[in-house]
Amino acid sequence: MATPSNPVPTEAPDAITGPDDLELVARAQSGDTSAFNELVTRYRTRAFSMIYNMVRNEQDSWDLAQDGFLKAWKSIGKFRGQSSFYTWLYRILMNVTIDWLRKKQIAGGTEFDDQIGLNNIAPGAATAPKGEMEPAAKISDSEIRQRIDEAISKLSPEHRTAIVMREIDGLEYTEIAEQMECSIGTVMSRLFYARKKLQALLKDVYETI
Amino acid sequence: MKPFEEQFTAWVDGELSDAELAEFEKQLAAHPDAMAEKNGAQRLGELLRAHPTAPRLTNPDFFNHQLMQRIAAEEPRPVEKERSVGFWSLSRLVWAGAFCLVSAFGLYEAMIPKPGSHGTDTDSKYFAQVVESWPSDPSISATTVYNPDDNVTVVWLDGLDYIPASATLQ
Repeated sequence: MATPSNPVPTEAPDAITGPDDLELVARAQSGDTSAFNELVTRYRTRAFSMIYNMVRNEQDSWDLAQDGFLKAWKSIGKFRGQSSFYTWLYRILMNVTIDWLRKKQIAGGTEFDDQIGLNNIAPGAATAPKGEMEPAAKISDSEIRQRIDEAISKLSPEHRTAIVMREIDGLEYTEIAEQMECSIGTVMSRLFYARKKLQALLKDVYETI
Repeated sequence: MKPFEEQFTAWVDGELSDAELAEFEKQLAAHPDAMAEKNGAQRLGELLRAHPTAPRLTNPDFFNHQLMQRIAAEEPRPVEKERSVGFWSLSRLVWAGAFCLVSAFGLYEAMIPKPGSHGTDTDSKYFAQVVESWPSDPSISATTVYNPDDNVTVVWLDGLDYIPASATLQ
């Protein structure tokens, strides 16, 4: 079976020296803020990147990472060690981010219509918009990133979450379903439509590079 | 059977079992562009992974500093309050209750005779001193003996030479 290239986020990305996570968590649970500060140092970069992949804005990502870590501190007494600390933290960060996206969607009156551009696309049909960019044109990395940002920002929070978790964070279906509190079938369906829309928006990019 | 969308996604990700794959491939005849779609989805995944768009976290130390300030401004965490509810926490109450139950059961087993429990012990008798009586002669004392074999209680009156006919037990 094929698996995503990225590892499942159950461990710290970098080599860790000093006390392990569970020891730091135990100290944090007894009120030691310096132990929690060490946990923040270990996971702040990864948390920020994960959130940025969802919201596509640096300042919002900073604020949401702050909110996520603060929420983790407030509820660290409930952490029982049944998963890794980062898995537990990841869920908190993801929930904070999804809630923010939904509120933004409501406040801004934005409709993330995932069917836009897909109504005429049957499963298995070609999805590329024609003539958007010359195939021979070389796209710079910054342009590619901008195109990816724009494309992902057009997805609904649910579809965005599913595709980021699968393709960028490298989670399995079961892990995504657990994080999003939905069935595996729903995850697969969301992935299907998220990919369809992204393929329609980015086909010229991935076929050019 | 799973909807086409779910099967297609599992097919793209290589998550179909052999049986599911064989079944799904039968449906692909109706979708001539499916293979191109699969390749496109896989290339999309490669594109997303190859071009992480997240910038580096600038001022990471300030990130910690700001967070620690927010934590310091917060009320003490609820968990700390839960821990300071006094000696009788929930777990201690449960253990104390269990200990009391076990102790009560043990006392019951040790102290309270059961009607059928001494049937095999033919020598077992239960003596009792009658502590309150009103004999005509202070030298007379009363004792009872219970014989479980015969289910009879015998009253001993020490110091009594005879029982007057008027006081015969009925």
